[in-house]
Amino acid sequence: MDSNLAAGLAMGLGAIGPGIGLGIAVSKAMEALGRNPEASGAIFVPYILGIALAEAIGIYALVVSLLLIFVG
Amino acid sequence: MPEEEGGEALIHVAIKAEELFQLGPLMVTNSMVGALLTTLLLLAAALWITRRGTVVPTRMQSAIELPIELMAGIISTSSSRWRGYAALILGFFLVILIANWVGLLPGVGTIGIHQVVDGHEVLTPIVRPASADLNFTLGLSIVSFVMFIYWGIRANGGRGYLRELLGEPLYMAPLMFPINLISEFSRLISLSMRLFGNIFAGEVLLATMLALAPLFIPAIFLGLEFLFGFVQALVFALLAMTYISTAIAEHHAGGHDEETDHGATNGHATPTPAAEAATHA
Repeated sequence: MDSNLAAGLAMGLGAIGPGIGLGIAVSKAMEALGRNPEASGAIFVPYILGIALAEAIGIYALVVSLLLIFVG
Repeated sequence: MPEEEGGEALIHVAIKAEELFQLGPLMVTNSMVGALLTTLLLLAAALWITRRGTVVPTRMQSAIELPIELMAGIISTSSSRWRGYAALILGFFLVILIANWVGLLPGVGTIGIHQVVDGHEVLTPIVRPASADLNFTLGLSIVSFVMFIYWGIRANGGRGYLRELLGEPLYMAPLMFPINLISEFSRLISLSMRLFGNIFAGEVLLATMLALAPLFIPAIFLGLEFLFGFVQALVFALLAMTYISTAIAEHHAGGHDEETDHGATNGHATPTPAAEAATHA
């Protein structure tokens, strides 16, 4: 039971940071796109990489909570 | 498995691939069936397009060519030596894309055989998407890990690669070497965990939604997972590509001050924006 609570906390708290980071990344990308629509090709790849790296932190939290549920 | 005290669990979640039957010394799991299905689909598409391909593409042909054209456009602008790794990256992308989408086919999580696992009967699906199995994603990450180290050594030489690991001022090496080593291995872990986590979580999400609201609602999430499957395949391929292209470019960008005797080759010294983003992360 304790590990289920820990898993919920790990995922919930661990999602805060990546959520904020993703919000900032997407908003800045959209801003850049709004200012200069022709740059969409140049923005696309670094944008995808950036959100992937921010998202990875959330995935770490997910992995920890999965471990807590199924292993711990 | 966690202890299930109160009543039936809402859904059956298996973090490991489940075993279907024994084939000689090999235990066939349902994610192996998924991987086989992925390979067969890719093979069928490849055969179809090489037999029936026309200069003016038909509808089916352009559907198959679309992801390849997208990736080819991105790869060819990544660095000056993209020809060496284009096939690997394109292969990663296509295999992961199809492996992710196999999980969305109707019947994949629901058609199965009944097995008795510690006391109670569970439904073991026959097909499980290959990328919802850590073995598959770890295998792909190990391939990309070996490849970007191989490319780094081939471009900079064994000593160059070692110097890259030791860090820039040599007296900082005792501190920087473990950090650099860990950061190399963390790429392996994060590449595999990202893909596995996303696809596995997607499968669990779909199963939960199907159990909660069987009508209409799962369709929305299916659409979402369709998009995520594409994005994750793109992310894996792009990260692998960026690691390789920085491994090739690092020496020219880093060892600039000491080896400028052949300054003419500095044309590709400037890293691409993609490479820039990954080095700072």
